[in-house]
Amino acid sequence: MSDPKNNQDDHLRPHVYDGIQEYDNRLPNWWLWTFYGAVILSVIYWFSFYDAQIMESDTTRIDEAMAKVEEARLAAIGEISNDTLWQMSRNPGFVAAGEAIFKEKCVACHGPDLKAGPGLAGVNLVDDEWKWGNQPISVYSVVTNGSPDKMSGMQSWVNELGPQKVSQVVAFVLSHHTEQEMADATTLNPPINLKTPPVAK
Amino acid sequence: MKAKSKLPNLDTVTTINEDGSRFNIHPADVRGRFTRWRRIAALLLIGVYILLPWIPVNGYPAVFLDVLHRRFHLFGITLAAQDLWLLFFFLSGMAFLLFYITAFLGRVWCGWACPQTVFLEHVFRRIERFIEGDAPARRKLDAAPMTPPKLFKRVLKHGIFLILATIIAHIFLSFFISIPQLWEWIRTSPVEHWKAFFFIIITTLLLYGNFAWFREQLCIVICPYGRFQSALIDDDTLNVAYDYGRGNPPGSVKNPEAGDCIDCRRCVQVCPTGIDIRDGVQLECIGCALCIDACDEVMEKMNYPKGLIRYTTENELEGKTSKLLRPRTFGYGAVLILMISAVIFTIATRVPAKMDVLRDRGALFSFNGEGRVENSYTVKIQNMSEVPQTFSLSVDGLEDMRILTDTTVTVSSGENLSLPTVVDVPPEALVDTNNDIRFYAESQPDSLIKLETESRFVGPRPR
Repeated sequence: MSDPKNNQDDHLRPHVYDGIQEYDNRLPNWWLWTFYGAVILSVIYWFSFYDAQIMESDTTRIDEAMAKVEEARLAAIGEISNDTLWQMSRNPGFVAAGEAIFKEKCVACHGPDLKAGPGLAGVNLVDDEWKWGNQPISVYSVVTNGSPDKMSGMQSWVNELGPQKVSQVVAFVLSHHTEQEMADATTLNPPINLKTPPVAK
Repeated sequence: MKAKSKLPNLDTVTTINEDGSRFNIHPADVRGRFTRWRRIAALLLIGVYILLPWIPVNGYPAVFLDVLHRRFHLFGITLAAQDLWLLFFFLSGMAFLLFYITAFLGRVWCGWACPQTVFLEHVFRRIERFIEGDAPARRKLDAAPMTPPKLFKRVLKHGIFLILATIIAHIFLSFFISIPQLWEWIRTSPVEHWKAFFFIIITTLLLYGNFAWFREQLCIVICPYGRFQSALIDDDTLNVAYDYGRGNPPGSVKNPEAGDCIDCRRCVQVCPTGIDIRDGVQLECIGCALCIDACDEVMEKMNYPKGLIRYTTENELEGKTSKLLRPRTFGYGAVLILMISAVIFTIATRVPAKMDVLRDRGALFSFNGEGRVENSYTVKIQNMSEVPQTFSLSVDGLEDMRILTDTTVTVSSGENLSLPTVVDVPPEALVDTNNDIRFYAESQPDSLIKLETESRFVGPRPR
């Protein structure tokens, strides 16, 4: 039988726990190499994810996924109110969809920078003055039902766009404002409301 | 400073030299009943590994973990990603099954059924033996300088190892990708499916590195089961053990003081993890029983009774009797039964479908030609079973409420169907502007699946 003790009591480490002691044997070299590899990898990882941000971090991916979930939730909301319109205006998916619609339908009168200006029929949408009310629901009402000024105001868009796209384009306009700033803005007429429900397509 | 041979001891791991470098084990050939039975078991297991994705059960392979579509087919049961919580009971059940078996039979899993042992001992080591010769020849070849014959043997061996690793990687992938899809990928350019190609390359390299070089290090240093097995076994557990009462002290036959062990060291030479079983149960031991066969062969030649090394328990070696029934086996058994019952119960009572109802946004309500109030909804029904299901849809909550659109709908397996649905009610039945209603869906014709979900019905203020 082989000698159970290998005459290496000099390798014995001084600490004792419950009568158990340990030998100071060397770690396997392959183990050490995986350790060194992990150290090097952690530096590369830290650099590419956190410093240079070459790689997309999990936080970014989760934020994007959550924005999509939020977009689906907002799209499913049955009621339009100041609160829900503000939420939509903070959702990148909603705003991006709204921007696309704006560029197609609205630029002709409101201009590419939303400021309208000389020669364009629309009102400035990024200043601190609102024509039909300094509330999101007023903006939504004007887009949906058209301007109360039937002679020279904007047409109704709900039949052409449908309620979903109307809320997207309003979200895009609102994304240029903050809640406080809009509340402080002036309105030329008393704020209007969505008196009649939008007609379903 | 690589030693050519080493004396195993309890203070160091034989396969790791004092300077941290690797000591390669070359186990000697061995013949005997356990070796034969182990080989049969291994061939059967390899057959099972290969065939599982090929045997159809209920229209799907017996085991098909379809990660792409997040559907998991296990012996005729189809689970969706929503059923992931079942995995808790399944995995804990498997863990306690392993605990239970370990309490009785020690590391029988490691020696007989673990894929690491099955492929290493019965595939890769056999090829190595065939190309490079027996243990002394392999040691000589290791020490020899690189000459054309040695280079030829090494290239041949590693070439075959790489091919085998590729095949095993494909078998592994066939559990996750359907066989026709895998065949399609094999025949087309890697550029079209580079992720799967990359996965195969990485898996192949890992398998090759493991079976060509890493080998017993996985069992000794990495495998967690090996680490906590000493907490699972006790003095009544069946282990591969040396009968020290009969064998000690080891010595020559001529020595009248010596026991039955003639100190021939055959048990050490055949050990794939490089230990001396005569030092007692050790963490490196994978219970492969090769030392039993080696020792029995010697005992037979010496005309001594067999079984100096055998499957036995610590208590039996001390002359006591072993008990099968003990608190440990009862405890592991109870938890095991609990977990198995939980898996069976949850799978049996699982509803393989799901219904959601969304009220259409925009329109609150409208009046139809009959003067009734209309609301529209999108009903979503997801069929998670493996066959198409027909559902009949009904609604409840207000008097004389009707569904005007289709109420019978067939959803194919795995489909998530959106069904535009219009519901109407006479104005006088309205209780409030906002009424709670419930949608029901029942599978037809057997009504085995019953789904229900809440929604609301909006109307004008009741007079």
